[in-house]
Amino acid sequence: MNKDAQEQRLIREAEHATLQMYTRRHFLKEGAMGFGALAFGSLLGSCGFGPSSASNTIFDASNPLAPKPPMFPGKAKSVIYLHMAGAPSQLEMFSYKPELAKLDGQECPQSLLEGKKFAFIRGVPKMLGPQANFRQHGKSGLWLSDNLPHLATVADEIAMLNAVTTDQFNHAPAQLLMHTGSPRLGRPSIGAWVTYGMGSENKNLPGFVVLTSGGNNPDAGKSVWGSGFLPSVYQGVQCRGEGDPVLFIKDPEGMDRDLRKASIEAINKINQKQFEEYQDPEILSRIAQYEMAYKMQISVPEVMNINDEPAYIHEMYGTEPGKTSFANNVLLARKLVEKGVRFVQLFDWGWDTHGTSASGSVDIGLVNKCRSVDKPITALILDLKQRGLLDETLVVWGAEFGRTPMQENREGKDLPFKGRDHHAGAFNMWMAGGGIKGGTSYGETDEIGYDIVNGKTEAFDIQATILNQLGFEHEKLTFESQGRPFRLTDVGGKVITQIVA
Amino acid sequence: MVQFSSKKIGVLFVLLLAVGALYKLALSNQKVDYNIHVKPIINKKCISCHGGVKQEAGFSLLFQEEALGPTESGKPAIIPGDPEASELIRRITEKDPAERMPYKHEALSEEEIEVFRQWIKEGAKWGQHWAYVSVKKQDIPDFKNSWIRNDIDKFIYEKLKEQKLEPAVEADKPTLLRRLSLDLIGLPALEAISKKYLQDNSEKAYENLVDDLLASPRYGERWTSVWLDLARYADTRGYEADRGRVIWKYRDWLIRAYNADKPYNDFLIEQLAGDLMPNPDDAKYIATAFHRNTMTNDEGGTDNEEFRTAAVMDRVNTTWSATMGTSFNCVQCHSHPYDPFKADEYYKFMAFFNNSRDEDTNADYPLLRQYNPQDSMKLVRLTAWLKNNSSAELAKKYVDFLKTWQPTINSLQCDQFVNAALISSWFAGLRNNGTCRLKDVVLQDKTQLMFRYKTNFDGGKWSIYLDALNGKLLKTIPLPNTKGAWEIVSVPIPSETGKRDLFFKYFSPAIKNPDDTGVQFEWFNFDVPFPGKGKPGYGIALKMFDELMHAKVDETPIMIENNQDQFRSTHIFERGNWMVKGNKVEPGVPAIMNPMPSNVPKNRLGMALWLTDKRNPLVARTMVNRVWEQLFGAGLAETLEDLGSQGIAPTHQELLDHLSWQFMNEFNWSMKRLLKEIVLSASYRQSSAVTEEKLRIDPNNKFYSRASRIRLSAEQLRDQALEVSNVLSKKMYGPSVMPFQPEGIWLSPYNGEKWKMSQGEDQYRRAVYTYLKRTAPYPSMMTFDGSSRESCLPRRIRTNTPLQALTSLNDSTTLVISRSLAFRMKILGGKESINQISKGYEAMMFKPITSKKLKALSDLYEEALKKYKKDKNAIVRLMGAKDKPADPETASLVVVAGALLNMDEWLNKN
Repeated sequence: MNKDAQEQRLIREAEHATLQMYTRRHFLKEGAMGFGALAFGSLLGSCGFGPSSASNTIFDASNPLAPKPPMFPGKAKSVIYLHMAGAPSQLEMFSYKPELAKLDGQECPQSLLEGKKFAFIRGVPKMLGPQANFRQHGKSGLWLSDNLPHLATVADEIAMLNAVTTDQFNHAPAQLLMHTGSPRLGRPSIGAWVTYGMGSENKNLPGFVVLTSGGNNPDAGKSVWGSGFLPSVYQGVQCRGEGDPVLFIKDPEGMDRDLRKASIEAINKINQKQFEEYQDPEILSRIAQYEMAYKMQISVPEVMNINDEPAYIHEMYGTEPGKTSFANNVLLARKLVEKGVRFVQLFDWGWDTHGTSASGSVDIGLVNKCRSVDKPITALILDLKQRGLLDETLVVWGAEFGRTPMQENREGKDLPFKGRDHHAGAFNMWMAGGGIKGGTSYGETDEIGYDIVNGKTEAFDIQATILNQLGFEHEKLTFESQGRPFRLTDVGGKVITQIVA
Repeated sequence: MVQFSSKKIGVLFVLLLAVGALYKLALSNQKVDYNIHVKPIINKKCISCHGGVKQEAGFSLLFQEEALGPTESGKPAIIPGDPEASELIRRITEKDPAERMPYKHEALSEEEIEVFRQWIKEGAKWGQHWAYVSVKKQDIPDFKNSWIRNDIDKFIYEKLKEQKLEPAVEADKPTLLRRLSLDLIGLPALEAISKKYLQDNSEKAYENLVDDLLASPRYGERWTSVWLDLARYADTRGYEADRGRVIWKYRDWLIRAYNADKPYNDFLIEQLAGDLMPNPDDAKYIATAFHRNTMTNDEGGTDNEEFRTAAVMDRVNTTWSATMGTSFNCVQCHSHPYDPFKADEYYKFMAFFNNSRDEDTNADYPLLRQYNPQDSMKLVRLTAWLKNNSSAELAKKYVDFLKTWQPTINSLQCDQFVNAALISSWFAGLRNNGTCRLKDVVLQDKTQLMFRYKTNFDGGKWSIYLDALNGKLLKTIPLPNTKGAWEIVSVPIPSETGKRDLFFKYFSPAIKNPDDTGVQFEWFNFDVPFPGKGKPGYGIALKMFDELMHAKVDETPIMIENNQDQFRSTHIFERGNWMVKGNKVEPGVPAIMNPMPSNVPKNRLGMALWLTDKRNPLVARTMVNRVWEQLFGAGLAETLEDLGSQGIAPTHQELLDHLSWQFMNEFNWSMKRLLKEIVLSASYRQSSAVTEEKLRIDPNNKFYSRASRIRLSAEQLRDQALEVSNVLSKKMYGPSVMPFQPEGIWLSPYNGEKWKMSQGEDQYRRAVYTYLKRTAPYPSMMTFDGSSRESCLPRRIRTNTPLQALTSLNDSTTLVISRSLAFRMKILGGKESINQISKGYEAMMFKPITSKKLKALSDLYEEALKKYKKDKNAIVRLMGAKDKPADPETASLVVVAGALLNMDEWLNKN
């Protein structure tokens, strides 16, 4: 980022901060302490925001999830973000590099290594040719490897980003950068920003839901769906495929629904008495939250239950009820956006193919991982489309970085399986639906997929584009913290207009 | 719509205030005050182009010398005393939009222009923002009436009068008892204390209660949990792997410090620089763990220097945020856009922290090594021998070394690896014939090399060359097979001169596979040999030294300063980028603040003494403001994190200053005396009931015409529930515990660590002892706005969400507590369910239940009873253990107990 841009940013933020000092902050403060009797009206669902007021989005602690219109009418109403944690190899999936095949087994030229840092490669590694066959698909002629036979059938729905780049080559910071705009902890995640900006449409469900698969949480932990300095109400709610779908959603053993209902009624009656005594509007807010909790106890298990989906849907997605799997999570994502959830974030762990084991190799493990996601992702696109939801649902597929065209030689040694090290320089992501132009691609890398030739795309650009599709100017969705306004895209970000319909 | 109008009212209100202030000024002919009148306009209308980041036309309004100095045009824009000659006035009154300021923005109002004009006329006097001016003794407003109990009330009463508000009556005794207990000890008072208070009708009853609570050991636990957010204390290291870190002794230090009422200035000095105080004991070292709560990154391939630097910057930011209510981190990239800090001042301040020994090592070095009693005796004997046979100075050096393994050089400082590598980013590892370099080692007068290494091969030899691989051979050292275990060895080395680069080469004939790593080093120490050779007892002393080096010890990360040999110089990072180093800087404090006291060293200790100097304008105010927030729900200056010009101005600045002055000068930094002063006030003791009129005039209770109702913290909620149900463990101190947590919360990659449920009473310890994993904190605490402790959190924002309802309804801890509470209710209330319910409520709230609330609960009881009479199976499931009496009545009482634990009045301070 150049100096001017940074200055411009700081100035804008300074202006913003001073202007808002007496508006948003003032209300944040009031909200946090309870709005007073007047504000309780908002609990009844009133909405006093004009279309342009979202840049001043106000946090109202008495009803922080009230639906709010975005800054301008967005094409997308919700987002399903599929993150492959560990970073899949673009060279075996999307990035067709015949030249790399010719270089297979040769020592990596010194020019590629100078001034570069790798997580594990030491000394001079050898080049590793693509471990998959590529073919063109659809009218657009999108190159895809044979690892993705299903996705090939929806090639024309996809806008491919060929030249994504990051400056972080370790998982945790790179994931944080991708989802929070900073490689360090403490910033809100994109889903939290969206929920802060738009609220939630479904009063019985959280606005931001997270589903994980692959046996581990992403490396950066829950911070990638955290609320950072935003009020905690905006953090992602992790729903789980096994056990309780939301923590503590189930009534205690031996207490049935009727008794729970009676019990909440008793609690609310007592709280009503308390309100009559003290007149504190926060008490009314608590009464409302207990009602919402009761509703969630029914609606969350309902939406998280895929047993009742028809057989053809299970066949299409490859789902098996009762398990934690990526396929199940993808189907759940569809159900959630159908119910009005704004942001569904999926993390699938296990893409870190260094070559230290068969499951962590690009010729064995990666093929299996592709098999586990190819069918459900394709099903998601087709299913959203057949329900008329694809236009208003933005699907984003990506990871924290890509992998090197060199074979990994950890600590200078050859590894037993074929693997690639982390590569921050260039990798692929794609988007579909939600006002994205299908059958397009943007950006280009060199003939071995190492450096970017044109169309460089950064995490901030992806974030700016997602916000744009939802109807937000990424520079204006801000929140004051530590004495200055922060935004998701920090100091960067430009909407990738080339793929926007 | 209703909400919209409330917003409008707010804006209008603020505008009116602003306009009102200007009008007042115009009408009263009073002098212009820079802070009150000028700075707000500058901040709002000018500073973004003429300030810290940008200085259009060479003109800046951030600092006085800049504002009055020459601009690009060569002449100043402000000429004190002469508004008409001042370019500033010409520009803000200009009609031509190309010339008129603010450029391309709305023109200043006439009132605003008048403020500038009058200000310049009166000499353009610069004023300091209140928070950067030292605290002065305040005049106490002169009020007397039956409500006022102490000076605090006079300040409060004065503002209430201005608002045409009246204070509320004193809350009833039960409410006060619960409020005060939760505030002072974080728990309902013990039965003995509460009985004593409720039965005592004398004038002193309340004050006695305050004293009893302040004397309770629970007091330290309560206030420690507040400090832990600031200290970003956690039991793990953060980032990807987020492995465990054993640092709980620091938490225990805090509890002891609070209970002993350690003066706040000493409390800070010891945490910031205990290691640099004369002859620090273990406790002073452990206090410094405050700044070892920074995160370390264990992920492969990370740059240790990057994360060391991140930790150092975090220490700077935390010091300012926690103790001085200032977001100093803005200054790392540019001069503060609103407050008078210059960018280089950040790095000067950072220089105080840049010479600690920690380097993002695997072991979290430096560590305080604490011996078991037997080994401690050994250490005492060894110390005595060293004193007798060498010198007190040498004895101290060896004791320090045994207690810290410092000074040592971490092997991660090695570079130029050939056929070698920095294994897992921490350990210099060499293969057969592998080489690497260790730069800048001071060899002058060093005749012994001690090092820690491991190898799986026999016959290894390590050759050290001076200055180059083909340089002079210093020594070849045999490296016996340690079978993969770390081993510490000392060898004599020939005497050399100066600071030299060392080149290492390794060979073992036993290595067959060229890919095998032959040896790994952890650290090196170049020094003189153990003293007293030839003196009686030398052999035994040396043996004791060796045994103590290898002893099993408790380890706690602490701060230790680099010695001269390892001194780091500090540079400015250009635009905040640690890779781009600019000018070198010396340690120093920002010019706007109080100067460094004379006679203090220019190191961390000196900085700590500067910080706790009574002239420091921020430290006492920040703590007083925080204590106030804990008791009243919001600070006197609401933005605890920012007292500067971007923070929200205090409602009662004089009161804040009065208490800050008292805190330092009358209470001698005693936290207990400060707390006592505040809670004895009539302002604190008010009822929280609110009238329509008070809600209308002051909806957020900024003027304290009543007590605020405040949702309890995550810690208070857990602790009071455990206490009221009679299961709370009174056990203090020790390793963090793992109470029940649902499966699947901990899922960190590359980390086999598991949540292992604690047994017995450790299940029911206070929240302050709960194990905190940064990437997966205890879920129910997070739901109630707890902190994940990644960085200093100066203020928690309270939320009110359905997830909180789900947690307090359904968390299995709630069920366990409901059962225990039900048993207690049976004991308290005898046979009748009505009595049981009433007594249960009374045990929680210290007062009798009203008939309507009782009816709601007994209706619930009857409904539950109907169910459980028909469904024995449900009783068994609800009650869990089969050995407990499982009759329908008890089960129904458990349901009622669960409802009681969810009452809003229980979740709040009333």
